[in-house]
Amino acid sequence: MSLTRRQLFSAIAKAGVPATVAVAVGVKSAQAEEIRTPNAAVALLYDATICIGCKACVAACAEANDTTPDTRRDGLHQAPYDLNDLTRNVIKLYKPEDGSSSSFVKRQCMHCLDPACAAGCPFQALHKDSETGVVQWDAEKCIGCRYCTITCPYHVPRFQWVGFNPRVTKCEFCRHRLDKGLKPGCTSVCPTGAVIFGPRTVLLSEAKQRIIRNPGRYYQDRVYGDLDNGGTQALYLSHVAFEKLGLPELGPESVPAQSLRWQKRVYQYLALPAVLYLGLVQVIRKNFAGYKKELYEEQTKTGLRAQL
Amino acid sequence: MSGTIEVRTTPDQERWQRAVPVYGIPVASRPFVVLAIVVLLAFLFSAYRELAGLGPVSGMNDAFGWGIWKTFNIMVLTALGSGAFALGLAAYVFRRTKVHALMRVALLTSFLAYACGLMLLGIDAGRPWNFYWILFPWKWNLHSPLAEVAICMSIYAMIPLAIENLPPVIERYYYLRPGWRPWIRKIRDWLVRYFPWIIGLAYMLPAMHQSSLGALMLLAGQRVHPLWQTPWLPLLYVWAAAFMAFGCVAGTTMICCMVYKRPLDMEVLDEAANITCWLIFGWVGLRVLDIIYRAKLGTAFVLDRFAGVFWLETLMVLGAAVLLRRSITRRDPRQMWIGYVFASLGGMVYRFSPTTLAFKPDPESLYFPAAIEVLMSLGFIALGVLGFLWAIKKLAILPAPRQAWFDMAKYAKVNRPDIQLTDYFDSDNYLAVSTQHD
Repeated sequence: MSLTRRQLFSAIAKAGVPATVAVAVGVKSAQAEEIRTPNAAVALLYDATICIGCKACVAACAEANDTTPDTRRDGLHQAPYDLNDLTRNVIKLYKPEDGSSSSFVKRQCMHCLDPACAAGCPFQALHKDSETGVVQWDAEKCIGCRYCTITCPYHVPRFQWVGFNPRVTKCEFCRHRLDKGLKPGCTSVCPTGAVIFGPRTVLLSEAKQRIIRNPGRYYQDRVYGDLDNGGTQALYLSHVAFEKLGLPELGPESVPAQSLRWQKRVYQYLALPAVLYLGLVQVIRKNFAGYKKELYEEQTKTGLRAQL
Repeated sequence: MSGTIEVRTTPDQERWQRAVPVYGIPVASRPFVVLAIVVLLAFLFSAYRELAGLGPVSGMNDAFGWGIWKTFNIMVLTALGSGAFALGLAAYVFRRTKVHALMRVALLTSFLAYACGLMLLGIDAGRPWNFYWILFPWKWNLHSPLAEVAICMSIYAMIPLAIENLPPVIERYYYLRPGWRPWIRKIRDWLVRYFPWIIGLAYMLPAMHQSSLGALMLLAGQRVHPLWQTPWLPLLYVWAAAFMAFGCVAGTTMICCMVYKRPLDMEVLDEAANITCWLIFGWVGLRVLDIIYRAKLGTAFVLDRFAGVFWLETLMVLGAAVLLRRSITRRDPRQMWIGYVFASLGGMVYRFSPTTLAFKPDPESLYFPAAIEVLMSLGFIALGVLGFLWAIKKLAILPAPRQAWFDMAKYAKVNRPDIQLTDYFDSDNYLAVSTQHD
């Protein structure tokens, strides 16, 4: 009674041939997709060679976003270890043991052109603004699943672990200030101009100009965020390796483009699952008819009601 | 390959011909009460968690945003509860008809695993009141594996899986409430008519969300150790769920038969063992080939915890396959049971690894579940076990020889005259057949 080879092949043909067609169609539409830079994309440019580590931006960030300064470390100083539920922006110091060159680094959301957090967010609570490209969080849609804390390659979104109404904290380029025509808090206080704000195209050419003007000053003569992870809206210049500053080498393809390639194709318009389902039902109908017959034969023989 | 093994035929008096309730034992036994207390505690802590937040009750932190509620109760236990999917596919699509004897156990364990998992998922979500967005499909992010999992799992557990579990329930009322029979017949006719469409959905949806559970970790990229991180993760996840589910369903049925003194139908169990065994060989083969193809085999021979976990899970499932194979040739149910247990355990470790054991957050950090977190996790497992213990005594779930059905009828006639057992129990037809068997 088990499946013969012929039946198996016919079953595969019934379900598989239309499925292959569906995948082929899906592949075509998936390949057409390209990462688009928003029209009015804003950006940060952070130059680690100019930063003096004064942390004025950290204080300004908390003030601009109206959050309690994080003094949990010693009850006195605003000195968070890392980004956390009260900290959208933090200055860290990379200082190697061997005495080679050290560097400050400012960490905040990178506002990727193709953000992994938004790609994974089930109900689009994290989404990218189509005009400015700010990756923003919507309290009305977030279910608190914390998938963004797993997916973000820069480990930026942080969850509030205490309280009945937890929020996800991440830099949103002070979008409430942008609406009023103001710059983000951190860029408006920097005393050395290590972090500046402006249109992405302008800042990108400024960064490239700096590299040309100062040959050999910058790591690999490269702007991090130009192409990395599909491009980001926070651009970095540094004299030490980017990886040491917590900016991993991810390649020019964005994380979602790399990892969800097949996921996108398989679920394109739900075409493939629908086709497979129809094929599956055809196979099951035939087998179920046989099983049903056996059951009722048994019922007549034994006088006991058939159990489905 | 089957030519090398002589197929065993079960003697008629040991053959699993019919699902029969466990009778003559009160539902509220001592283990039942203990489990109920654990469940109650878990409910109390759930209320506390809703007020206090996740931090005070769990060991989750910024580096490990997901704790055992998601990574064990959902990732691992819904895989164990994929019996309805795996055995159903084997029986209804690949026509391994012997597997039908285990189907009701599979359906029940699946439903309980999914229901309890989804409940805990609701408690694990930080902002559960926003779940209502699930009602607006145009707000879904269909490219998100997590949306796929959440939506697909809820629909599966609430609709096709629940409907698949209806037959034992309506059967109970068919016998106990003669007045309801016209309605029950209607439901049954409807069920039989649309059954292929329903079970088709019940295989399509788990295939989708069990694979998407694997796809979840694709987005984590380099933070999952290369022995686990692969584009094939979705396929490996759903495949692992298949052999784990066989292990879980067959293992559970065997232990129940031992506890409730029912014979083992070795013909059915051999078939299940054979399928499990080949599923494991295929899975390990695919996994190892993929690791070799990605040139990451070297990382398995480094002395660190990742290599240790890799060998642990590989050896457990391979050991299980060997034990199952040997148990068929040597006709040894004990080895078979141990084989099923190891198939489940090895798969469990595998499904647990990418999110926890093989997850390397940057900066390096550790996660260990807090006491309340573990207790709540156990509480929702206990809820499933409670449901199982209740259901096998109230409904015809566990398989038995036909004679057990007649024994039950006799028992009920003498000891429970308050129950109106009618029709097949005391019809002429029943008497005729039952005397034949006596």
